[in-house]
Amino acid sequence: MVNVFKRMRKLKTTDICKSTQLLNVRVGTGAAVFPAAPSATQEFPAITRLHLTYARKIYGGHQGARHFWRNCLPRLKYHNPGIPMTVRQTEDQDGPAALSVYFAQKTSTTAASLAAEDLKDAHAPAPADNEQVAVLDVRNLPYTEIWNKVKNLTNATEIPATTQEAAELRKLDEMAAKSKTDRTRIAAKRQVKKDQERMLKEAREQVERLKQL
Amino acid sequence: MSSLHSLLPTAARGLVSSCRSALRPGPLASVVSTFQQTRWASKASVKRVKSQGYKSNKDKAKVKGKKVTNKEFKQHNLKDMEQFALCDAMRYIRAFEVGRQPTVSKYELHIRLKSKRDGPVIRNMLRLPHSISTESRIAVICPPGSRQEKEARDAGAVLVGEQEVFDAVKGGNIPFDRCIAHPDSMEALSKAGLGRFLGPRGLMPSAKMGTVVEDVASRVEMLRGGTTYRERAAVIRLPIGQLGFSPEQLRDNMRIALEQIKKDAAAMNDRIVKEIYEVVLSSTNGPGFSLNGEFKSDQTPDTTSMHGP
Repeated sequence: MVNVFKRMRKLKTTDICKSTQLLNVRVGTGAAVFPAAPSATQEFPAITRLHLTYARKIYGGHQGARHFWRNCLPRLKYHNPGIPMTVRQTEDQDGPAALSVYFAQKTSTTAASLAAEDLKDAHAPAPADNEQVAVLDVRNLPYTEIWNKVKNLTNATEIPATTQEAAELRKLDEMAAKSKTDRTRIAAKRQVKKDQERMLKEAREQVERLKQL
Repeated sequence: MSSLHSLLPTAARGLVSSCRSALRPGPLASVVSTFQQTRWASKASVKRVKSQGYKSNKDKAKVKGKKVTNKEFKQHNLKDMEQFALCDAMRYIRAFEVGRQPTVSKYELHIRLKSKRDGPVIRNMLRLPHSISTESRIAVICPPGSRQEKEARDAGAVLVGEQEVFDAVKGGNIPFDRCIAHPDSMEALSKAGLGRFLGPRGLMPSAKMGTVVEDVASRVEMLRGGTTYRERAAVIRLPIGQLGFSPEQLRDNMRIALEQIKKDAAAMNDRIVKEIYEVVLSSTNGPGFSLNGEFKSDQTPDTTSMHGP
């Protein structure tokens, strides 16, 4: 098994792979709690499930939807572990990029202005008897805008980073800045060494040439 | 000349110089030679000291080298590793695996053992209470009309019999992922000459692979719901559940797997001590979480809804 420090580093810091960092799942765009049964109001009912459909390639405005899946959905899933979230990747580039939000009983009051009424997502699961679906058209939208739409639609409460998490984030930023300066410093050092070696080599070649004359 | 000398070992250098002085006797030779000799001698002595120093270093390296080839696998201190309760690890993994098919993505268990580098390894089969494989189509080759045929059908084999299986395979249609045979049918199997079709796919039944068995029904059940595992570099890795499993289902599977592995370790030779050192829960697309043995912690939210996609 890989050594403990490497494994911890993979979970803790961004420099190896951002997608495996735990802090990145807890904090960021989309770290929010949807209204559940106890906290639901008349205007904003509880969310029962999410479904995202988009095409495999990015042209035709499907990039934001994929980014939403990569960036926001893990955070939403972490903070709402009980809400099923499904993603369907289609081959149809001209097809819709749609996010279906399933509400308990009836859709929220903001759904009328935000949801696309004529958009049909054939891949989304059919709503149950006590569910209502609001379908968002997410084509040609960056993922942050998709998230804003979702937030306005559902009235999700964003979870700010705790002081501990903020400190950790700051530390990671500092580390990133430090590694940037370090990278240039080390690169300069290596370049000096390389230049020296090259010069020595050239000098030696010249000596050889003189000897041969 | 000097380059030659620097290449030769000290003893040989002395030899060369003595030869030369013998070969070229001259008026100055004695003076020069003595001068050179002393110079070389002093150099040689320095070299000797140096080489001795080097030698002692080398000895140290040798000792170090011996240390590196430790008989045990290196055990890292788990105090440096953050450990998680099962439900917390599951919560993270479900977040990392969001949007994946819950029957396709799997939870994996990595069990680190305290074990020697040279020695027998744990290797066994296991049947979990909650089956992982979503489908495993099994063909059974056994005499038609026998008791085994009925049992195999009951156990869930898709294709049972002798001639039926042979015809299907020869027709280029292989509707199964596993193939097992009853010893009574081995003669017919070898006559049918299926090796050309089944061999390249690794489906040809053989006693060595454990696919020729008397008790066909139990093996079919084992293959349908079971997994094989083996220890590699002191780690046993095995799939432990589908992503859609609830924490309770996963816990049951883990409990059975760990118990069986403990049993396997205990069943080994008396002199061989193997014990479980660390258990890591991972998944198809997620990172690994070291488990602390708890089911849930204080931060764990309601776990009743933690299943499905």
